[in-house]
Amino acid sequence: MKITIDGKEFSCKPGQKVYDVAEENDIYIPTLCLNKLNHEERPAGCRICLVELVGQGNAEPKLESSCSLPVHDGMEISTKNKVVYDERREVLELLLSEHEQDCRNCGISGDCYFADLCFEYDIDGVSVCSECPNRKDGCFLARDILCLGPVTHAGCNAFCTRNGDPCESCFGVLSNKDVLVFGLEAFGENGFTRDQVLEAAKVFSYEEVRVLEELMDEYDLLNKEVSE
Amino acid sequence: MTNLNVNVEHVTRVEGHGNILVDAKEGKLERVMWEIPEAPRYFEAFVKGKPYTQLAQITARICGICSIGHALTSLKATEDALDIEVSEQDVKLRELALHGENMQSHVLHVGYLALPDLVGEGSVIPLATSHPEELKKVISLHKLANELSRVTCGRTTHPRRLIPGGFSKLPSPLELENMKTKLEGSVPVLHEVASFVKGLSSALPDFERETEFISLTHDDEYAFYDGKIASTDGDITPVDDYLSVTNEYVVPQSTAKYTKNNRESYMVGALARLNNNYDLLSPLAKEVAEDFGLSPVCHNPYMNTIAQLVEVVHSVEDSINLIDDILDKGIEEQGLNHQPDIEPKAGTGVGAVEVPRGILFHEYTYDDEGRCTKANCIIPTNQNHGNIQHDMEKMVPELIGNKDEKKIELTLEMLVRAYDPCISCSTHYVDVNFIE
Repeated sequence: MKITIDGKEFSCKPGQKVYDVAEENDIYIPTLCLNKLNHEERPAGCRICLVELVGQGNAEPKLESSCSLPVHDGMEISTKNKVVYDERREVLELLLSEHEQDCRNCGISGDCYFADLCFEYDIDGVSVCSECPNRKDGCFLARDILCLGPVTHAGCNAFCTRNGDPCESCFGVLSNKDVLVFGLEAFGENGFTRDQVLEAAKVFSYEEVRVLEELMDEYDLLNKEVSE
Repeated sequence: MTNLNVNVEHVTRVEGHGNILVDAKEGKLERVMWEIPEAPRYFEAFVKGKPYTQLAQITARICGICSIGHALTSLKATEDALDIEVSEQDVKLRELALHGENMQSHVLHVGYLALPDLVGEGSVIPLATSHPEELKKVISLHKLANELSRVTCGRTTHPRRLIPGGFSKLPSPLELENMKTKLEGSVPVLHEVASFVKGLSSALPDFERETEFISLTHDDEYAFYDGKIASTDGDITPVDDYLSVTNEYVVPQSTAKYTKNNRESYMVGALARLNNNYDLLSPLAKEVAEDFGLSPVCHNPYMNTIAQLVEVVHSVEDSINLIDDILDKGIEEQGLNHQPDIEPKAGTGVGAVEVPRGILFHEYTYDDEGRCTKANCIIPTNQNHGNIQHDMEKMVPELIGNKDEKKIELTLEMLVRAYDPCISCSTHYVDVNFIE
């Protein structure tokens, strides 16, 4: 039996799933819910492994979860087109909107595949904290050192915090307001003032200072007075 | 020859933009000019008001080649102003970082920028076909230098781990041991590269002009990280008095300031260091220097490229010794993400470090909150511009009549390249003419 994935033909056995054939042939399909523990059950719950089943004859193409899609002879699959990318991105956004934002206190920050995927799919809503290994007590904020990680775009793999220095937001502040507000609250909870946060943000861009300032006003965040 | 017009705009294979202008009429020289048209940078202005913790990170961005040197000079100035102590181990690690950068920059200049002139090519690319094995060796040395910078600073350019008072994260003993093995493995490669350059060195012009050479000097070591300011004219000046040495002034053809000390100009860089500190070179480096007939005081600016090669050998040898020293004493434990306790206070401090192109000065004044109120940075290339100009003024009359225009142009370009200028770092000054 043969199927075509991204224009290349591969042999497969009846009963195999498309995801497994791709994996055997080093074709990367992201997935969050499929792992060694539930490999046989196939929960097909995260929908990140979506691929396009190219329609044969007059049939319309369909998006299917590759982990639960059984192969059939002559099947044609596309894992990398714009429709697939956009759909996966939308699924990730939905998952992220339901997700706990407290990366700073999460046990897998610094090694989080979900955060990596969000970055890969260019989703604005994942902060440097998701990539930072200094979680909980190791967090700079918990040690009274102002780190802009909670309001900064992920994507640098938390280079500075991995090298022992707090984040200075060189990747720019997030535009996702929910995450930004959450991050600003974290500064407040750890005793940092408005002026201190704005001062730190100035290093790379005054535009970012303006964004943070407006949010602080809108949500009445952080004490405006400088603490002693 | 009757008339000569050389107009190189801009000189290639140097960092930034510099022009060479030569006009001669009927064998008589009318004008020789080394012009710097690059836009000024304003770093000294925009660090004003910034807290002491940010200055090294910001000023390191002055240069993508000497970022480690700028960060260290900045840290030394801050540490001087705020009386911050740095442990012996951290000083050694900083010296190691500086060697990494010195090797990076020198290998880049000798191997990719100057070498094409010696083999008669316009760039390094044709060397991949004409001298593939030699070029691979040069690249392997560059890779080694990058690796040393990464191990000590966290990345190859724009160091992250260098902070006031020490390091935010230290390299592991295993990383240092691996680095030492690689450095030891590079010694035969260094010899091969040196003998390759030796075979081509007859292409270096034989030109001399007596001038002053200024660099750091130290009683116990070939000075890079620490020392006093030495001149081949015999003066020794404490680093705090650096302004009495640099004496900056402005000239109309340049956005970079020029400098002078005892004479009309002076030279900084590898040749200046070698001229002032020859006796303290490592044994292997001295061997290479002797091989090229390079001994103090050498007044041929073209030999700066050879002095850089000698310094690469010195850096490798000294790095091996430094790693041995650090590992013998054992790396002191410091907490995860170490941030030293520092009490900000008002003060002024000066830092001077020998970076690849010569002596670099940073001076900061801080207020009692530890915010910078005044900054001054004097970059090595600034200090060389005057010397380049005076070299050209002496050289062109010697060349007119003996060589054709193309050859004169190449000889002048090679002169500029020998100084390995980093032009965009050196520009500070902007001349505004108001038209009424």
